[in-house]
Amino acid sequence: MEKLKGLFLYYLSNYLRSYKSILPIFLYIFAVAVNYGYTPNPILDSYSLTSLVLFFVMGWIVVTVFHAEDFGQRQITLLHAKNKRKYYLTLILVCMLMGCLLSIFAVAYPIIMNSFGVKVHLVHIIMGFLSHFILSVLAISLSAIFTREVVKNRANTWWGVLSILIFSVVIVSVKEKILYVSGLIWLLPPVHLSLEIMGADDGIKTIPLIYFLQFGWIVVYSIFLVGLFLILVRYRRLDQ
Amino acid sequence: MQIMELQKISKRYKRREILNELSFKVQRSEIVALVGENGSGKSTLLKIIAGLIEPDSGKINKRNKKMKIGYVPEIPPPALPFTISSYLEHMGRISGMGKDLLRERINHLLKLFELQDSCNTKIGHLSKGMKQKVVIMQAMLEKVELLILDEPLSGLDYNSQKDLETLLMELKRNGMSIIFTCHETKLLEALADRIFFLKDKKIMEERPILQKNITKNKLVFEIHSEVSLEELSSYLEIHRQSEVTQEVNVIEAILEQQHTDEVLVEILEKGASVKQLSPVYNGQEAFNNHFIGEQVWRN
Repeated sequence: MEKLKGLFLYYLSNYLRSYKSILPIFLYIFAVAVNYGYTPNPILDSYSLTSLVLFFVMGWIVVTVFHAEDFGQRQITLLHAKNKRKYYLTLILVCMLMGCLLSIFAVAYPIIMNSFGVKVHLVHIIMGFLSHFILSVLAISLSAIFTREVVKNRANTWWGVLSILIFSVVIVSVKEKILYVSGLIWLLPPVHLSLEIMGADDGIKTIPLIYFLQFGWIVVYSIFLVGLFLILVRYRRLDQ
Repeated sequence: MQIMELQKISKRYKRREILNELSFKVQRSEIVALVGENGSGKSTLLKIIAGLIEPDSGKINKRNKKMKIGYVPEIPPPALPFTISSYLEHMGRISGMGKDLLRERINHLLKLFELQDSCNTKIGHLSKGMKQKVVIMQAMLEKVELLILDEPLSGLDYNSQKDLETLLMELKRNGMSIIFTCHETKLLEALADRIFFLKDKKIMEERPILQKNITKNKLVFEIHSEVSLEELSSYLEIHRQSEVTQEVNVIEAILEQQHTDEVLVEILEKGASVKQLSPVYNGQEAFNNHFIGEQVWRN
């Protein structure tokens, strides 16, 4: 546990102190601020939009967190960690912390700035946070598959991450026509579930069980991808 | 005392064979150099010893299973946003070292590497030599028995090289074994007890570093002659105490420089033709000339 804590603090500190963290964080804060520039705003629709923006920003954050060390330093860190799985889980945890902090910001900002036209209830806050954080987790698990740890050619990293994130959103619009028929909807990134949930009316009083199940499926899907990532990196050379 | 033995280590990347059944031993307080052409597998071998890469086959027997090995990769020094102290603290914590022990080790290393005054300086602001010291320090946070250095002097200026040489000798005196790769002849001369030459990506030849004291300015002869090969061989061996190897119609002899001129004259008088004459330097060039066959001068 001490080692994991050491790794976590090292990576977080390294990432936050590096210039690589500034741009995605700043751009997300800027995007949220612009979105709430005009008032009043609908609650769940606005959260849905900022969670979708966070979905893409997290792809950026994942690549920069995973590539924060040069190859030589990565070898050094791995040798100190003595455990490949812990090393990569730590990277994912750092990304999750970033996703969590940005989710809290995205939910809190409009409330603090009084940007909604109606009164915000706990149900909105919970749904808003879950929507942001769970889409962050999905973005982390999807993007990790395209980091240098798995993809040989570093130039393909950005294309890979961007493509999978865009693809995940694009399938939302075609899912009813094609995907339900073939059953592929269960294999493809479930961004549409979050968007469906956040399409609910602002007058919602309680969160239906089905919403928790849908969010739960996104989490299960993400865990599966993280597992796949850990299997893939297990066989990767560490000196490249 | 032997601290590590490599037995028949093989490694290939896809179809490319990098190492083929390499075996060697490392003794306590011994400095071993790995020499070879670029791509000969030196760095791969070091990574296998460090545990970064698994060999395809073969065994590494350590003196004990918990033996600590420090590794210094061939990298540009880390561009991390930490001071020397905080960088070492992070690496120590990742290793699972306790706070007090870690502080004690960092202080010891800062003193040993003469970096006490720079401990709060950011790594990015250090000179290349100092950065290299920091990379070595992280490898020694735990009390390591074997230190692995991949091109430790690469890109360092003369003074930094001398500093590092002195430091590595000090580590050796303290009982540490060191394996390193390098292209700097002077480091080989100054440090190595033994040199392993990786050739053709598979064969490893071993040479004790005797040449560093006795082979100053040797010359290599490659002689093709119509005269009796045996006559020439015995002449060189007996009268000039040369190292002679003989093949079908070629004699290769390594001579002390002081004998070279007269031997050359005598051999030419005997009707032989000189095919190659090349100087043999100390250290790595000696190996390059001897094994790779770099021809400095041709007749």
